[in-house]
Amino acid sequence: MSGPRVALFVTCLVDMFRPSVGFATVKLLEDAGCRVEVPPVQTCCGQPAWNAGDRENAKAIARQVIAAFEGYVHVVVPSGSCAATIARDFERMFAADDPWAGRARALGARTHEITAFLTDVLGVTEVGQEAPVSVTYHDSCSGLRSLGIREQPRRLLASVAGLELREMAENDVCCGFGGTFCVKYPEISNVMAGDKTRHVAATGADLVLAGDLGCLMNLAGKASREGRAFRARHVVEVLAGDLATPPIGEAG
Amino acid sequence: MSARDRILGRIRAAAAPGDRQAAVAAWMAAPGGGPRPHQAMSHGPQRLTQFMQKLDAAAATVGRVSALAELPKALAHELRKRRLPARIRFGSDAIFAGLDWGTIGTSRGPGRIEEPATLSRAEFGLAETGTLVLASGPDNPVTLTFLGETHFVLLREADLCGGFEDFWTAWRERGLDPRTLNMVTGPSRSADVGQVLQLGAHGPVALHVFLLS
Amino acid sequence: MSLHEATTPAFRANARAALDNANLQAALRGSRGNFITKRAKGREDLPEFDALRDRARDIKDHVLAHLDLHLEAYEAQVIASGGHVHWAETAEEARAIVLDLCRKAGAKAVNKGKTMISEECGINDFLSANGIAPVETDLGEYIIQLRGEVPSHIIAPAVHVTVPEIEAAFRKAHAHLDPDRDLSDLAALQAEARGVLRAKYFQAEVGITGANMLIAETGHSVIVTNEGNGDLTQSLPRMHIVMASLEKIVPTLEDAATILRILGRSATGQEMSVYTTFSRGPRRPGDPDGPEEYHVVLLDNGRSNMLATPFQDMLRCIRCGACMNHCPVYQAVGGHAYGWVYPGPMGAVLTPSLIGVEQGGQLPNASSFCGRCEEVCPVRIPLPGMMRSWREREFEKRLTPAAMRRGLGLWAFAARRPRLYRIAARLGAGLLSRLGGKSGRIASLPFARGWTGERDLPAPQGGTFMDRWKAARR
Repeated sequence: MSGPRVALFVTCLVDMFRPSVGFATVKLLEDAGCRVEVPPVQTCCGQPAWNAGDRENAKAIARQVIAAFEGYVHVVVPSGSCAATIARDFERMFAADDPWAGRARALGARTHEITAFLTDVLGVTEVGQEAPVSVTYHDSCSGLRSLGIREQPRRLLASVAGLELREMAENDVCCGFGGTFCVKYPEISNVMAGDKTRHVAATGADLVLAGDLGCLMNLAGKASREGRAFRARHVVEVLAGDLATPPIGEAG
Repeated sequence: MSARDRILGRIRAAAAPGDRQAAVAAWMAAPGGGPRPHQAMSHGPQRLTQFMQKLDAAAATVGRVSALAELPKALAHELRKRRLPARIRFGSDAIFAGLDWGTIGTSRGPGRIEEPATLSRAEFGLAETGTLVLASGPDNPVTLTFLGETHFVLLREADLCGGFEDFWTAWRERGLDPRTLNMVTGPSRSADVGQVLQLGAHGPVALHVFLLS
Repeated sequence: MSLHEATTPAFRANARAALDNANLQAALRGSRGNFITKRAKGREDLPEFDALRDRARDIKDHVLAHLDLHLEAYEAQVIASGGHVHWAETAEEARAIVLDLCRKAGAKAVNKGKTMISEECGINDFLSANGIAPVETDLGEYIIQLRGEVPSHIIAPAVHVTVPEIEAAFRKAHAHLDPDRDLSDLAALQAEARGVLRAKYFQAEVGITGANMLIAETGHSVIVTNEGNGDLTQSLPRMHIVMASLEKIVPTLEDAATILRILGRSATGQEMSVYTTFSRGPRRPGDPDGPEEYHVVLLDNGRSNMLATPFQDMLRCIRCGACMNHCPVYQAVGGHAYGWVYPGPMGAVLTPSLIGVEQGGQLPNASSFCGRCEEVCPVRIPLPGMMRSWREREFEKRLTPAAMRRGLGLWAFAARRPRLYRIAARLGAGLLSRLGGKSGRIASLPFARGWTGERDLPAPQGGTFMDRWKAARR
């Protein structure tokens, strides 16, 4: 393969909870001609520390990510939220005159969420898959508002033969995950999750898809507690043709 | 040190260095500079049409009067149509002074606690939003604008502006200094009961504009 | 409501109570979406809307960088027009100034237009305690005053009250009216309030309003209302008192127009609110109406301390309410849960600034950082970023809860050591995967009840990506 050399930042949630999302991401990248590498020095993007106000730990983790990934032309992340942390927040963590700020900016400019990378950078229009399912798409907040990801996953889904996209009401409203928010304020988070599962269910879609595993675990966990009929998957699973892996929150 | 001195002192201590006086002078010398919406730039007949459409959108009604002498007749017609008593209250604006009001009973002065219908003259209108601009004073007491159940407003078509930009220029040129400049866009309303919009919260239930060509 | 009554530290308990309050939930559900749809339409109909937002941001930034100079110019104009300016460093000083003015006016009753600054200063309780009856005239404010409440929203103060609750409040308060009267429709309720308040407008000696803007060029105070109550409040009594905070300044009439073009659209979707009133000084010689005295109380109350800090941008706020209308947390719990004057995202940033992060620190934490508030803010205040800045202050001051600090510390220790992290992730994935068993999810997990209380935890697939990748690509 002679395509671009791409580093995968797999994210801590995908690493621990759903490795199949990582492999689906790799498949999409390789199908598009990329050479994928997985730098071994990666843990988490540091967003939990950054959002909790722990700037020192956030910076330490950011420096670790920058050092491990700045040698690659592109960094691709199967999460709008983690991609936004690297692409937008890393630079804000450092003082303007700190050399790390410049390195953070440079890495940020080369860091992409997977569906945005495929469409905007590589110009992919077809994923060559077939899936006779109805889906609805949840726009995760960071991807939507920090990175402007909205049309990209929809364009790719439109190329999946047999797939029907049914938009839900309030599809741009937070699902209530919000990182540590969901455990700091579980009652409020629960109401937000319940609104979201209601809107998903109202579409009658088989699957809710999103680009962030955090939101998806929240939605899948809420839906299974409520006994909802729909299932949850990361969008790359459908795009990569991996419907054999059990949906989120189910065992094989 | 007074509270004033301490507050201003804290603000100055936080200020960035530089010639701030000059920056303020420059700002004040060139008012405006913001984007001018297309809808604030209407001209000619289109301006009139837009104004009437915006009045309608604001739940106000409008009628045209081709000569000042026709105002009493037009008002009498509106009062009858609205089943209001043939009475009107207005201020000492010269424009109303020499008119023959016929069967309409008139009274002069500020608003009173129960007043079925009041009449004012607007200084200007804004086609941008269907807004009337009234200047308080003996000619057009401000309380007439708020205490009439139905408020009638006379506006000369020549006083109709496109939007805020030409309005402020015209306002400054006219050199008025009333206690209040009242911009009115439709009749009073509130959505505080059950989040459903209803007209006539405290001010007029209805607003009718006579456009004088 | 005043400083000492803030219940912000109890946000969590307030929120729980709000979620269990069926009437409140019904009211919140009923209004949900209204403001959002209307704002979207208002924005859509004005192609220049976003450019106007940029300009409004620039105007406010200019004002904040030159606030002292503009305040001095404004004050000179008010004095030139025959008005008076009173400077108050604190809420307490503002209360004393207002009481003094009311006494000089011989006031027994004071009418009030909608003013959040008076809420911030706790004027109502203070005047009542001093034998002067405050009467709220904004319909929503009137409703909550009858109910003994404070506003739950900065532009729709009674948004939390259902229609049957309004009827009950009116029947109780308007005991002089026929008990058998029909109040079954919304129009009857509004008409009754109109009648009761119309009489009160003519009784008060003093009218207090807020100000949406103060214009440095001319000395005008500007109020924006839909009801007309603010105008009757300021025009009929013999004294008009304006209560406004320092940052309400805009330089020129043209700048005011820019703010007006985004204010109504952001708040209710209206191109213009019904009444926008520019007031300058007392009634002129020969005027048959209008107040004989005009006073402006300029309140600081912590705002000057926000300049040149990460929270300065908050002073751009024009109080449209769009942030709370679009906030899923506000939509879930309503405004009272926030426990002080300002709810929603703008309150989550402003409250710690004004009453201290020790008191208000819960609020900037109660956000999922979804960013919808920043997206709709007409003056582009980076609200989530500023909430994060508050979290940093709390972390530095060790106000972050100990359990959270410990958990975060342990996690960060591992996250900074990839080899250790690999082992921990491998162990965690294995353990949770086994707990998930054949169902693939975990219904209850000690130490994670926040998650598993109302939702299952999807179990890991087993084996980490990093291990599987290494094995597959070796």
